[in-house]
Amino acid sequence: MSARQIRLATLWRREVNRFMKIKKQTIGAPLLETFLYISVFGAALGSRVGDLHGIDYVVFVIPGLIMMAWSINAFANNSSSILQQKFQGAIQDQLSSPASPLELLLAFSLGGFARGMIVAVLTFIAASLLVDLPVDHLLVLVPSLFLVGFFFSQLGVLIGVRAEQFDDVAFAQTFILQPLIFLGGVFYSATLLPQPFETLTHFNPVYYMINLIRYGFVGFSEVSIALSLLALAFATVAIFAVNLRLFSRGYRLRA
Amino acid sequence: MEPKALDIADLEKRYPTGVEALRGVSLQIEPGKLFGLLGPNGAGKSTLIHCTTGLAQPTAGAIEVFGHDAIDDYGEARAAVGLAPQEPNLDWFLTVEETLDYHAGYFGVPKRERRERTAELLETFSLTEKRGERTRTLSGGMKRRLILARAMMHRPRLLILDEPTAGVDVELRLELWHYVQKINQEGTTILLTTHYLEEAEQLCDRIAFIAEGQIVAEGSSAEVAERFGVTSLEDAYLELVGRKELSRSHIEVAADEVAG
Repeated sequence: MSARQIRLATLWRREVNRFMKIKKQTIGAPLLETFLYISVFGAALGSRVGDLHGIDYVVFVIPGLIMMAWSINAFANNSSSILQQKFQGAIQDQLSSPASPLELLLAFSLGGFARGMIVAVLTFIAASLLVDLPVDHLLVLVPSLFLVGFFFSQLGVLIGVRAEQFDDVAFAQTFILQPLIFLGGVFYSATLLPQPFETLTHFNPVYYMINLIRYGFVGFSEVSIALSLLALAFATVAIFAVNLRLFSRGYRLRA
Repeated sequence: MEPKALDIADLEKRYPTGVEALRGVSLQIEPGKLFGLLGPNGAGKSTLIHCTTGLAQPTAGAIEVFGHDAIDDYGEARAAVGLAPQEPNLDWFLTVEETLDYHAGYFGVPKRERRERTAELLETFSLTEKRGERTRTLSGGMKRRLILARAMMHRPRLLILDEPTAGVDVELRLELWHYVQKINQEGTTILLTTHYLEEAEQLCDRIAFIAEGQIVAEGSSAEVAERFGVTSLEDAYLELVGRKELSRSHIEVAADEVAG
């Protein structure tokens, strides 16, 4: 391995090590939360709702829950890890190393990405044991999940870098991220909403992400798959470019 | 000609708040020397160190470490520097052993070498028994040892010690002094900041005084004292900070007068 590869692997290992040391909080709790959503919205309410667009309600909900698990965990991991390290001053050990801004950014991003992926995969396995969950379009599902995971990893990095106190991270997660996800159609179809809420939903970027993942699993979408995938790829590249610029400038990282 | 261990030219640092922490600092440290940087709080010592190690971005000027640029194309320069900061900036999630291992990994040290070096430094700094403990459970002295061990993990050619003995007991201070002298004799260049003037006087080949972001005197401790027209480094420092009434010689004269 080259020095650069060792460096990148160590930076990433540190991120994974951090969340694995508190796995009850970082893996166990979100897994339980997702399982409770499946139980309440899927099993309990689902029996009354029946089908949605010809799909069993619990099956309709699960793709959105998998996306939600990956995105929220990727975001929460990176935002809190960066803020914690800034708070402790421990980030100085990494900033004073030969690591480039790109290496630092990739390591921070992939830490949350890994945590989100673990929770999402475990959610998928648990859901598959409970219901018959199809995977209709693997070639859409895999890139969509990876892009969603990477997008929210980047968003977590952005908020973590900008944050000066834990309140800043909590605010972003509670007042921005969660409403966007919940109102993006995880638990319902936007076509069921009255106007103007149906139209407003189309301005929520998470709506398109949920539809991509849902299409990957059950083959149903309310939006154009190609256009959504393209927009998601563009948004992910854009936020990555913004973060790289911040890391290169040392924005709120270096004095 | 062998490049300087540290070559700083016209370094300026202005913080976004408008504070001018460094105002055209130029400083050169020869390889193998033990150099002391002294000055009152807020003089610019830590800012100078942060600019050298990438923790702060200079507003103007140049920094080279063993001939390598330390500001823009900083890879080689950073690899040559080890930093033991003033504040214990340890990662609470890591154990003592992980702290050393990860640090060396950030510098690209291969796994086998990291393992050997970790064992060696744990032993040197009497940390072997604490290797599995999380850093947040360590005492202040143990944290100080770990910070120094961490700075040494990647075998830096220039070691920067920012107030390494602040708040440590006499035993540990002497232990650290011996270690610093030993690695200096083995060839490591050392930049030391300290508030203990006797420490600087005993350990350092050369000393610089920094005040209000500028180097105001540089040389051996005798040369620096002479520059201020006094006979000791302590008196020179008191002249620098405008508190010469605190000089021991003044106090002794005053005591004699009272006794007489």
